[in-house]
Amino acid sequence: MSLSQRHLALILIAPGLVLVAALFLYPLCFSLISAFSKDGRFTLEWFAKAFELYSTDMVFTVVIVVTSCALTALAAIVIAGTLTLGENRYIVGTLKALYRWPLFIPFIVAAQCMRTFLAKNGLMNNSFVSLGLMEPLQAVSYLDWRGIIATFVWKQTPFVALLLAGALASIDRATLEAGRNLGASRLRVLIELALPQVMQTLLVALVLSFVTMLSVLSVPLMVSGSQPTMLTVDMAFRINAYGDYATANALGVITYLISAGAAILYLKRGLSQEAPR
Amino acid sequence: MPTDMPNGPRSGASIAVRDLKVAYGGTRVLHGVSLDFEPGSFTALLGSSGCGKTTLLRALSGFVPVEGGSIIVGGRDVASLPPEKRGMAMVFQSYALWPHMSVLQNIGYGLKLRGVPKPQIAAKVGALLSMLGLSGYEDRKVTARSGGQRQRVALGRALAIDPGILLLDEPLSNLDAKIRMVMRHEIRAIQQRLGLTAVHVTHDREEAMTMADRLVIMQAGRVAQVGTPEEVYDRPASAFVANFMGAENVLPLHVARAEGGASVTAGTAMARLAPEAAQALPAGEAIAYFRDDVARLDASDAAAGGDLLVPGTIAARAYPGGVYRYRIEAAGRQITVDDADRHELGTTIGLRIPLQRLHIFPASEAGIAA
Repeated sequence: MSLSQRHLALILIAPGLVLVAALFLYPLCFSLISAFSKDGRFTLEWFAKAFELYSTDMVFTVVIVVTSCALTALAAIVIAGTLTLGENRYIVGTLKALYRWPLFIPFIVAAQCMRTFLAKNGLMNNSFVSLGLMEPLQAVSYLDWRGIIATFVWKQTPFVALLLAGALASIDRATLEAGRNLGASRLRVLIELALPQVMQTLLVALVLSFVTMLSVLSVPLMVSGSQPTMLTVDMAFRINAYGDYATANALGVITYLISAGAAILYLKRGLSQEAPR
Repeated sequence: MPTDMPNGPRSGASIAVRDLKVAYGGTRVLHGVSLDFEPGSFTALLGSSGCGKTTLLRALSGFVPVEGGSIIVGGRDVASLPPEKRGMAMVFQSYALWPHMSVLQNIGYGLKLRGVPKPQIAAKVGALLSMLGLSGYEDRKVTARSGGQRQRVALGRALAIDPGILLLDEPLSNLDAKIRMVMRHEIRAIQQRLGLTAVHVTHDREEAMTMADRLVIMQAGRVAQVGTPEEVYDRPASAFVANFMGAENVLPLHVARAEGGASVTAGTAMARLAPEAAQALPAGEAIAYFRDDVARLDASDAAAGGDLLVPGTIAARAYPGGVYRYRIEAAGRQITVDDADRHELGTTIGLRIPLQRLHIFPASEAGIAA
């Protein structure tokens, strides 16, 4: 490529670069500096404050997101496994038609739906009462940590199942038939033969879901107003109630670090799989 | 379960297929196939693409739902059983090895499913690997092995569970020619040594002829002929089988019965047949099929003797090695003939075809216009 072409290429990507720099890199650097400085000097004061006030919420956030990821993985494996190895074409057809719908529903709408579904007098409890499965007095609200997990799992399962089903469909079908042929049940074929071949895809989908769930504000805000809550709600609270950008930014950096933990786990696994034997 | 590799013949199971019908969607693929597989026999299912040979194998193994008919293995109808309950081991064209497992784990998986303790699995896999010429490969990754080694591992995996029946789904198609030759003999030797009932699907005629003791030729979802390699090769039951088994030269004939035999006419050439030979021939318009090495080139004015001497012209010549291969224009057809002598293009010759080497079928059956 000649020099003039190289310049032309730079000019062509310049608008994109400017947008990334202005809308992502600048705020990111600004937040980082704000989290680590006070009156122009380096400090860890905001982190100390964040830990003092919100250490319970940090643990709560990690537990909620990890649990949601685990349950999402389980649900996605069941759906993708049924789509790949299911023999009843009516079940497979119905599942195929239905399972992607939540992908197109925003988190805020999903949260609102869950509010009406999981409340003490919500659709779920009312259905149980009208079916005679429980007394009205026994009804309890699930609008707490359980509601957040239910919403996250409901919203993220289709995404993970979509990637997983695609990966399962692309592996050599004969490897699954070989397992059946030797005497393995469909469940064993799924767990011992199919899933290990698509583990990388499952892990990518879960890392992406982990990061997405970590950054959602609407669901913990709408589904569970009580304490403890997730870090996104705490950040919004610091800014809206106190204009305390520094502590909010410190919480943001902590969220980055939690995300980085997931990314490192993923990268380590990827590297160990590529190592020759 | 014994962990050592049995050396003596093991009793393979018998399979009786009765009126087997299989359809994909609304399209019928197998139209009532009935076949018997004797214990310890090696049967090759042979046919062109789409003839139903792979479908028949997959129906035996349980991967294709059966629409009608029965598959009786050892006196029990297994047609409605899932693949894992049929006791048949299959070797796949793509090897179908599990890339996340080592050679030991691949071969030992069937034994693990049967609850065999780890030391016994290791001992049996070790014995199998030594039989397959892969000693010491237990902990290697299967993805790092060559095609031939992978197929050996796949064979070992199938043999590990001591199956009575071994199903081979074009297992040699992905291997290069040299390895394929070696594997043919290895698979056959192992099958004979263990006394397994083997069913082998292939589209390679030579592979089927050299490995199997019985051929099943399939055509459009039906059995066209069953017989030993010699029977099918020398006495094809139909024009399709003759053509499929390599008799690709087609010569239109007219057969006229007469007292004391029959006369066979091809263009201007004519030959007479003795009464006993004429009995088997159809009268009227017929089609003869013959292989490249059956006819010879002779002088156009040579004495015909008992043969058909069809006048023709040399249209093309090639040298594939050992003999010359000619394309001859004779009786309005293009005919390929092998001959040891070199002849010039455009030469008028007499195509000498021994009548007894022709496979003759009525033109109406042959499906090719005379």
